[in-house]
Amino acid sequence: MRPFLAMAAILALMPFGLPPYAMTLLTEALILGLTAMSLDLMVGYTRLISFGHAASYGLGAYTSGWLLLHTDFPVLFVVPLAALFAGVVAIGVAWVCTLATGVSFSMLTLAFAQLLYAVAFKWTSVTGGSDGLAGIPRRAGPFGMTILSTKSGFYYFVLACLLGAFLFCRSLVNSPFGAVLRGIRENEAKTLSLGYNIRAYKIAVVALSYGLGGLAGALYAPFAGFANTELLFWLFSGQVLIMVIVGGSGTLVGPVLGAAFFMLAEHWLSSYTEAWALFFGLIFIGFVLFAPEGIFGVFSTRLIRRARPVG
Amino acid sequence: MTTASGATISGFSRRTLLGSALVAPAMIRSAHAANPIKIGAPMALTGPLGSVGQQLKRGCELWAKTQNAKGGLLGRQIELLIEDTAGNPATCVRKAQEMVERDGCRLLTGITLSSEALAVVPKLAEWDTIFVSSDNGDGRLTAESLVPNFFRANISGPMGTRAVSLFLRESKLQKFFAIGMDYAWGHNSVEVFEGEVKRAKKEYAGAVFSPTGTKDFSTYITKIRQSGADAVFIVMQGDDNNAFLSQSRQYRLPDKVQLLTEIVDLASIRAVGDAALGLIGSSRYSYTYNHKLNNEFVAMWQKEYGNFPDTFEGEQWQALEVLGAGIRKAGSIDAAPLRAALETVSVESVKGLVAIRKCDHQGVQTGFMVKVVKREGATLPVPEVIATYPGERTTPPCNKMTYDD
Amino acid sequence: MDFAAFLLTQCVNALSQAALLFFLGVGLTLIFGIMRIVNFAHGSLYMLGAFVGYTLVRLTGNFWIALLIAPVLVGAFGGVFEYAILRRLYRRDGSAFLMVTFGLALMLGDGIRLLWGSEALQVPLPDVFSGVVFLLDEPFPSYRLFLAAAGVIVAVTIWQFLERTRLGLLIRATSQNAEMVHALGVDVRLVRSAVFGIGCALAAVGGVLAAPLVTASLGMAATVIIDAFVIVIIGGMGSFLGSLIGALLVAFVQVFGNYYFPDLALAFMYLIMLLVLVVRPGGLLGKEA
Repeated sequence: MRPFLAMAAILALMPFGLPPYAMTLLTEALILGLTAMSLDLMVGYTRLISFGHAASYGLGAYTSGWLLLHTDFPVLFVVPLAALFAGVVAIGVAWVCTLATGVSFSMLTLAFAQLLYAVAFKWTSVTGGSDGLAGIPRRAGPFGMTILSTKSGFYYFVLACLLGAFLFCRSLVNSPFGAVLRGIRENEAKTLSLGYNIRAYKIAVVALSYGLGGLAGALYAPFAGFANTELLFWLFSGQVLIMVIVGGSGTLVGPVLGAAFFMLAEHWLSSYTEAWALFFGLIFIGFVLFAPEGIFGVFSTRLIRRARPVG
Repeated sequence: MTTASGATISGFSRRTLLGSALVAPAMIRSAHAANPIKIGAPMALTGPLGSVGQQLKRGCELWAKTQNAKGGLLGRQIELLIEDTAGNPATCVRKAQEMVERDGCRLLTGITLSSEALAVVPKLAEWDTIFVSSDNGDGRLTAESLVPNFFRANISGPMGTRAVSLFLRESKLQKFFAIGMDYAWGHNSVEVFEGEVKRAKKEYAGAVFSPTGTKDFSTYITKIRQSGADAVFIVMQGDDNNAFLSQSRQYRLPDKVQLLTEIVDLASIRAVGDAALGLIGSSRYSYTYNHKLNNEFVAMWQKEYGNFPDTFEGEQWQALEVLGAGIRKAGSIDAAPLRAALETVSVESVKGLVAIRKCDHQGVQTGFMVKVVKREGATLPVPEVIATYPGERTTPPCNKMTYDD
Repeated sequence: MDFAAFLLTQCVNALSQAALLFFLGVGLTLIFGIMRIVNFAHGSLYMLGAFVGYTLVRLTGNFWIALLIAPVLVGAFGGVFEYAILRRLYRRDGSAFLMVTFGLALMLGDGIRLLWGSEALQVPLPDVFSGVVFLLDEPFPSYRLFLAAAGVIVAVTIWQFLERTRLGLLIRATSQNAEMVHALGVDVRLVRSAVFGIGCALAAVGGVLAAPLVTASLGMAATVIIDAFVIVIIGGMGSFLGSLIGALLVAFVQVFGNYYFPDLALAFMYLIMLLVLVVRPGGLLGKEA
């Protein structure tokens, strides 16, 4: 609990130390961190590799964007509403995808995400088509409360969502439900033979994972002020998956670090050189070869070594 | 130099020399202390439209270089902030935000994709920043999505389409089909075209849209042929455009059907070679325009880069000329006075006169039609000007994307 | 154009497209079948083939030399990559391969941009196939006929290779039971290197053959990688015949689908994949369910 409180405190104090542009970057990093963490429930704890997580993000973003543009609801209501919507839709998606396993499962998640992309692309009257939704307001309220419309106010909102989601996920994975997930990850056949309804657990974890991914997307739309089809594209799904792996799957915290690392490395590398993708790729290959436990693994082994002096 | 007794040489006494030596560093310091004018350009330098972004980058760099050699703007040197967005709107907004918030940039240009522009534009007011577009053709940017700090110096999709349709009024072509890329720009331009054809009392045979990333155009070519049209209007760019032109030639489509296109650019002529011969289309800029300022620009470009300037290089140059003229007129780079100055600025540039109009911030400029032909001594086909139309006829009514006459 | 001519030309079109898709898919399915690697870099290798082919055509003026040598070069590159990097990862779980091939795709994409520039490059048709033939009075590029024929030839060649040669036998055996093959004294590592190299070479063949139709461009990798995966999944990961059937199915549905329902063009592939996987989760001829 202590490391968590320490991290939460540090993050809460950021607006007082960092300049505005850094705050913008940090807010976006936290939103991406939430996305990656939500995927970790599937990938790290249940070994359900999803190639379609962009669907949850995009669904959340478009829903919250549309609601903010076409209704009077304040941001505070819209965001959880959009997340709920994403989670509910995911139940149906999960029901179909869990008909298969392994790579077929992954490809089905991809298929759904791409179909959603196609729908968003063509349904111009609702989604704005290839132009997307722009000018999404961070509507204040309820009761005239304007704090969420400010930059720091929204940052705290994002932080609260991330910390809340983390606590929720952590208690989930430490619960009996989480034990079954781990059973599915380690040995699906055996867990099945123990009498568990594997499919139901899978559907549940996918729905939760997509719901939290939808929460992240729902936060993104008012943060950036727009939602477009790029958010639903398979490239983004691939990037989130990489964030999970490079951060350290199955740790919840790792993927958040992985997301921040991914975003910031891309941002800074591209300021220095046009050949940033070359170095970016090299970094990932380097991680696989030299730091297979991911960023979180690197930190925890070093911390553990420091905490327990030899001798 | 002084003689042994301290007498002066060429009117300078040693004291004056010493005095000026003390003052000079201060003068030099103050010249540098006049902080540079920063122009931010978050452009797609890599990714599918990377070659367009690279053109915009070269246009910006040469312009800044020549301006600075002439003393800069308002006595201040121009500093370009160029960063790669890879064509991703989220990255574009992030980079633009950093340029504004961290680097104190108040001027933006060079945004490559219309989707990137549409994402940035709503934030211009909050950033108190002016954006002069050099490449974004989406009609919406001067219609529904117009914001006060946005200015378009380039030719828009509707304007390009209009030049084509004015041309077809004078031609013998009677029946038209259209093919466009299946996203906002494609649909927008085809819609404008359809209206134009009908207003010209000619026959419109239909349209088909291909998704971005289509590699096989055989079905679409079949449709075009089956429509019986004698000309097809093409709204495509990049890889899709190159694949379509190559495959059309392979199917011998141009033998039966005249290809008309909304944008003719050198990069695609380089990519498809002779498959571009006979193509007639609207040009946003061509090195073959015969205008004094253009000839000077082309010569300068050839000296710097060793080749002819391409479509977006010329457009970027013009956009910066417009911005520069606005800054000189306003005497400032602050958003409010600059906006007022830009709203009525007009400047003679590489395409002739371009005049921003107040109602929708669109630069009114001549429309050009070119035909891609073989020229003696040139290895690649060349876009030759075949018609020009005054800006008043090619620019749509204020805040609109369609025409009334 | 009458219906017979339409049907004939569209069928030949579909066959030529199926050939290109098959070259992409067969390499991917072999790689997955033997090594359980989901190769994100497959589209980038296809693209590398197109660019290397472009340079070889420029240097030699001969398309056929390029078609022969580019795959060899790309295959060698693949073999070296497998030896240097992938070989260390077989004991690890699949996510290592995902990340490594993702990194490779990024590096290849930018590497190609640095070596060949950002613009699309023209690869001219081979002279002998630069004309048209008339199918029921409709002009049809002879190159596409060649593609369809090439697809058939390569498919038969690979089939015979897998059935009749020793390496082919080892490949098939390793895909079913790598440990047994190892126990029989065969160096499985060499089999894996060979398969990865062959898979890359086949992708490169696809790239060189596609280049005259679409130009060698940096956007190629992204547009074909999903196609490759879809074909292989529909056919069944690891199944050679499956990749052939997948390629034919996708090509025919796309050609005729784009004609009759152009609005759905973006979605066709995914709809087919969805349908197939719901009915047969392992793919049409797949082994895993």
